[in-house]
Amino acid sequence: MSDQRISGESNPPPEPEGMSRRSFLRNSAVFASGLAAVAAGLSPLLDIENFPSLQEFMQKYYKEMTPEEMKKVLERIEREVERQYGIRPHVRDLKPLDGVEYVYCLNLTRCIGCRKCVHACVAENNQSRNPEIQYIRVLQMQNGSFDMEKAVHDYNPEKVPEKGHFYMPVQCQQCKNPPCVKVCPVHATWQEPDGITVIDYNWCIGCRYCEAACPYWARRFNFTQPEIPADRLNPEMDYLSNRPRSKGVMEKCHFCLQRTRAGRYPACLEVCPTGTRKFGNVLDPNSEVSYILKNKRVFIQLKEELGTSPRFFYYFDV
Amino acid sequence: MKDSVKTTIVLNVLIVVFLALATGFLLKAWGQPAPLQQIPLVDPEFIKTATVRVSYSELVAAKEDLSDFDCYGCHEKGKPPVLRFDDKHMLIIPEEHKDIVMGHGRNNRNNLCTNCHDENNLERFQTRDGRELTFSESPELCGSCHGPTFRDWNAGAHGRTSGYWNRDMGPIVRKDCVSCHNPHSPKFPGRQPAPPPHILHPPTNPAPVAEGEH
Repeated sequence: MSDQRISGESNPPPEPEGMSRRSFLRNSAVFASGLAAVAAGLSPLLDIENFPSLQEFMQKYYKEMTPEEMKKVLERIEREVERQYGIRPHVRDLKPLDGVEYVYCLNLTRCIGCRKCVHACVAENNQSRNPEIQYIRVLQMQNGSFDMEKAVHDYNPEKVPEKGHFYMPVQCQQCKNPPCVKVCPVHATWQEPDGITVIDYNWCIGCRYCEAACPYWARRFNFTQPEIPADRLNPEMDYLSNRPRSKGVMEKCHFCLQRTRAGRYPACLEVCPTGTRKFGNVLDPNSEVSYILKNKRVFIQLKEELGTSPRFFYYFDV
Repeated sequence: MKDSVKTTIVLNVLIVVFLALATGFLLKAWGQPAPLQQIPLVDPEFIKTATVRVSYSELVAAKEDLSDFDCYGCHEKGKPPVLRFDDKHMLIIPEEHKDIVMGHGRNNRNNLCTNCHDENNLERFQTRDGRELTFSESPELCGSCHGPTFRDWNAGAHGRTSGYWNRDMGPIVRKDCVSCHNPHSPKFPGRQPAPPPHILHPPTNPAPVAEGEH
């Protein structure tokens, strides 16, 4: 301490012969603990899983990628999914079909509220199981009213349907005039020519403006790293639809793009035990949906007064 | 107090604070998100696409046991079965057909077997307009009374579909009426719903929600 006191009084102090043992020890203690503190302060960074690779970080916007670049990206996604889940997936980038505009029709007379569509969707689209992310919300409505304030979505009786209620599944309505697309500050979500509003999960910054803008509560946010058991992973994937998402990105129903652009029906339709759900190309006059829109009592587009012009129609029999 | 002593004290206090912080960070003593509640995986039964019943044509296609449809294994040919009714004009279902629930139509009015079955050839159906149909032609039979539904079914608007919406890319799979409806009691039965969505952090002590509040 003595030399320190002297050096404190007289500046500039000439260091006598290098550093004293005492001050060296103290200084190194300060230095070591400072280092430890900095390391500890940075330690939450260790919790970041799936830190983006350089290739992912440098990846271009979906619409700007050339086919060769997209091929590399799809290979990278396949590699990463295999590393994480131990299953080599088949990731594609299906483009919209010419002369196709998808429309969904849902028969409110037939729906019994069994929620099979909800879980078939989760299985098909690799949604997080914990915390749960589900694209479809089945509302139990009071007979004779469309008061959504009185709708219940966590009903769980022994048997459905219950007397005095009807059931209205709500999912992304694939609006013609989508408010979610308008608010996206980075153009990470847009409407495709076949009417599906898609999200580039690598371009989404997670601001959740679209979630706030959607009047149908159709968008879901990954607040944590999604958890999918490897044995429940669906290996048939598409870039814009059901490839595994990461923490901090938005997702939503995309009419099972990986199936419908390959000509197949969406998963929610195929699992429906009552044939409530109908899907097809509205530009084809012979499709089921054209028949329904022409001949059935197509009762509502949900919240049509908002001018979103959904491609999802609710109708009644008789 | 001299400046150097002050400096030493401040430095030492800082060291202690930083070390405590370091220990805290490394032991993750605070600021950690609450652990997620376990959510059981959904029963795969709920995501199966099988229909609730199996139709005659599907049984034939799957080469299943068709002995239930062999009427003349028990009945006698050329001798129409005699229907018996109780004092309320309700059909008495014979012991051999106890598994049949007569629930077709409201008010129990449609309780006559021969409305659909041909009494002269039990392995055929008969329609009101006199057509004879086989067991695999059930949509025609049902459609002879349920015209609008038959029309919708033909257009693909009633009943289940699977396969390909785009007929150029693959076939569409349609189901017969009896793949979903029990012909003797056609109202679609209620079923257990799949589990409802789970709350991320369920309230430990749920407060009662006052009327009119959200």
